Amino acid sequence: MPGDSQEARLSELLAQCTAELLAELGVRPERLTGGRQPPPTGESIAAFSGFGNDDLRGSFTLLGSSRLFARLHPLPPTVTPRDLTDWACELVNQSVGRFHNRLLAYGVKLAISVPQSALAEDLRLASSLQPARDFISFTVDGMVLEGWLELDTTPTFQLAESPLQGEGAALREGSIVLF
Amino acid sequence: MNKKTVLIVDDSLTVRQQVSLTLKSAGYQIVEACDGREGVDALRAHAGIAMVLCDINMPCMNGLEFLETIKGEAAGPPIPVIMLTTEGSPDLITRAKRAGAKGWIVKPFQTDLLLAAVRRIAGEPG
Repeated sequence: MPGDSQEARLSELLAQCTAELLAELGVRPERLTGGRQPPPTGESIAAFSGFGNDDLRGSFTLLGSSRLFARLHPLPPTVTPRDLTDWACELVNQSVGRFHNRLLAYGVKLAISVPQSALAEDLRLASSLQPARDFISFTVDGMVLEGWLELDTTPTFQLAESPLQGEGAALREGSIVLF
Repeated sequence: MNKKTVLIVDDSLTVRQQVSLTLKSAGYQIVEACDGREGVDALRAHAGIAMVLCDINMPCMNGLEFLETIKGEAAGPPIPVIMLTTEGSPDLITRAKRAGAKGWIVKPFQTDLLLAAVRRIAGEPG
C-alpha cells in the first residue's frame, strides 16, 4: 500500500491531520520516518475507527503506552484507565474526523464508525498484517505514538490532484457557527 | 434562583468532562448523557433543560437522529441544540439545521468560544 501514490497521498493527509491535532493538544509531535518503530511495551492502548464509502474503505488505529495517553489527556492528573481508553477513542475519532474534513474538499465523503479501544499488555500488530498497513508514527516527549492505516480502494477511485472548485469546504476545527 | 441547566450528549467521557467543567465554572448546571437515546431520556426526565450540546457520531442513536426524535416530540417551544462534533461537512450541517439545530461547533473546541455560544443560546446561567 505505501508504494501507491494515491494511497500514499491519503496516508500523508491523515498524518498531517494527526500532527495538527497533537499540536493543538499542546505537545510537539515529531514525525518518525524510516519504517516501523519498536512498539510500546507494558500497558498499552489501541484505539481505532473505520471509515468508508463505495470506493474507499479503511481504518486507522492509534497505539501508545498508557503513559503517553495520560500525557495527552486534557484533564490530568485524575485520569483512570477508563479515562485513558475513552480519550484514545476521542483522539482517533478527531484524527479521522479531521481527515474527512480535508477530503471533503476533494469531493470524497466518508461514513465514520464509532471508535473502539483496547487496553492490554504489549500490544503490537501481527507481522502477517504489516505489509497491508502504512505506519504513521510520532514521538511525543520521547514516547512513541504509532498509527496503523489500512486502506482499500476500488480501481475506479480517483483522488483529485488538488481540492475541487465548487466543493463545499468543511468548517475548520474550532469553528463555531450559530444559525 | 435556579441555575440554567445544559444537557451534554456525547459518548466521550472526556469531552463531557471538559464541557461540564467549563460550563459549571460559569455557573450552569449540567446533565450528561452518553448517546442520543440517553439524551432523549434525559430530556424527558429533567424539566427545564435550557439547551443541549450534542455530538454526532455516537452509538445507539447518533446526534442527527437525536435531533429528529426530539423535534417530533416537542410539545412546547423546542429546546435549542448546538452540535459539537469532529465533522465539518456542509451536508451534515444543512441536515442538522433543517432538523432544528441552532449551531455547530467543530472539535476540538476553545472553552471561551464554547461558553460564549452557550451564553448566546441559553442566556446567562441565572
